[in-house]
Amino acid sequence: MRADGLLARLDHWGRLLLPGVVLLFFVLLTLAPLRVPYASDILPLLPALTVFQFSLVTPERLPGPLLLAMGVLLDLLLGGPGAPVGVSGLGFVLIRAAVVANRRYLVGVPFLFQWIGFCLLTLGYVLIVWIFTALFTWTSLDAGPAIAQYLVMVVAYPLIAPLLARVRPRDPLNVPESSRGTAQPGETTT
Amino acid sequence: MAIRDDFEVAASQVRLAVQRFALVLLVISAFAVMLVGKADTVLVENARVLALDLATPALEAIARPVAVANRTIADLKEFATLREENARLREENARLLAWQTAARRLENENDRLRELSQFREGPEASFITSRIVGDSISAYVRGALLNVGRKAGVAPGQAVVSAEGLAGRIAEVGDNSARVLFVTDVNSRLPVQIERTRERAILAGDNSALMRLTLAQTVQGVQRGDRIVTSGHGGSFPLGIPVGEVVQAGDGNGVKVRPFADFSRLEFVRVVDYGVTGLVAVGPAPAPPSSPSGARGR
Repeated sequence: MRADGLLARLDHWGRLLLPGVVLLFFVLLTLAPLRVPYASDILPLLPALTVFQFSLVTPERLPGPLLLAMGVLLDLLLGGPGAPVGVSGLGFVLIRAAVVANRRYLVGVPFLFQWIGFCLLTLGYVLIVWIFTALFTWTSLDAGPAIAQYLVMVVAYPLIAPLLARVRPRDPLNVPESSRGTAQPGETTT
Repeated sequence: MAIRDDFEVAASQVRLAVQRFALVLLVISAFAVMLVGKADTVLVENARVLALDLATPALEAIARPVAVANRTIADLKEFATLREENARLREENARLLAWQTAARRLENENDRLRELSQFREGPEASFITSRIVGDSISAYVRGALLNVGRKAGVAPGQAVVSAEGLAGRIAEVGDNSARVLFVTDVNSRLPVQIERTRERAILAGDNSALMRLTLAQTVQGVQRGDRIVTSGHGGSFPLGIPVGEVVQAGDGNGVKVRPFADFSRLEFVRVVDYGVTGLVAVGPAPAPPSSPSGARGR
């Protein structure tokens, strides 16, 4: 039944790798010197948004270990003396876990609910990063810039998320695997 | 059929348990990475440098078109105000020529006086010009990535200057990349002096646009508009690089300094190779080397 040509295989691998590649691109973009107003506010949380959105539409193509690696890479690149390496990885993994555990409330619901979910989870992410950075550097960090970034990101979510959501899996129903039973899409019972 | 269903149920339970366990494992490994990073700073430093060296080419590829686009936009904007700009520049040029005459005269005089007093000048500084290929700006860091590194002679602790004034100092160096810590970063402590009174102080960043002047013996002596320059103490920075301007003083809130360098539009910077790296420790130095640890006590 399956087409096994070169194009089909390219298509398969492309779909498989796309979320990871997009995440890697955004991690690098975080550091790119874009001289655009508010860009430096949006960029640091862009990987977190990517993780949220892809965990929503296609979690199996963005496995936990990859997220951990990407988070560590982001922390290494962002630098900052004394800042903890791996806290972004922890945040990414927790975002994915929270989205996967709450797919029932986040998938196939009005966009507003997804937005609210994003607001809550990103708030948690920002809090985690702030707490760990403050603990590791043992200074009372000014939370102002982090809050500003968070607010800008919450406003920017409806603009960016639909673009990322186009990378959805082939299954148009997009139902959670657990509630799908053993039936495969397109399968006919004999 | 029933057996198969049982098997499916059991399998799904096992899968769920594995998934839960995987999450716990991932969280634990994230904590482990953090702890290792805290315990073994050398390892993290090496990993950072490696990541920088790997990412720099990609960042350069992103930065080039962005720079071109920005320059095009700036060019278009400039066309609109070309005539006014020209008039302003001609005026400024006339004013600067007068200054140049004064500067030449002073330089000659200075040279002669130095000869008379047999003054020994500090080491000659040389410059390494670099493009900024990455912003290292998050909520908690103020810095940038450069596309020059150890191969070009960059070393940790060297001063980084823009056209307007001091931008920061080199924090980490890879083979072909380096990270600058801006003077506004919360970890930046800079020995400076007030140009007018020659009074020494420490300039501390706090991740905001303004910096705090601390340890000034007499804060009363500081006025708004005073220029702050590097003092050369600590040995790694040349004397007299302009850093910023006092914008707030004498109202009980401490002295605030606005940096001359415009960090939002830095494109090229120069790394000042001063010959000596003085007190700067080789290798990772999480705390700024030139600041006494007492400077942090608040």
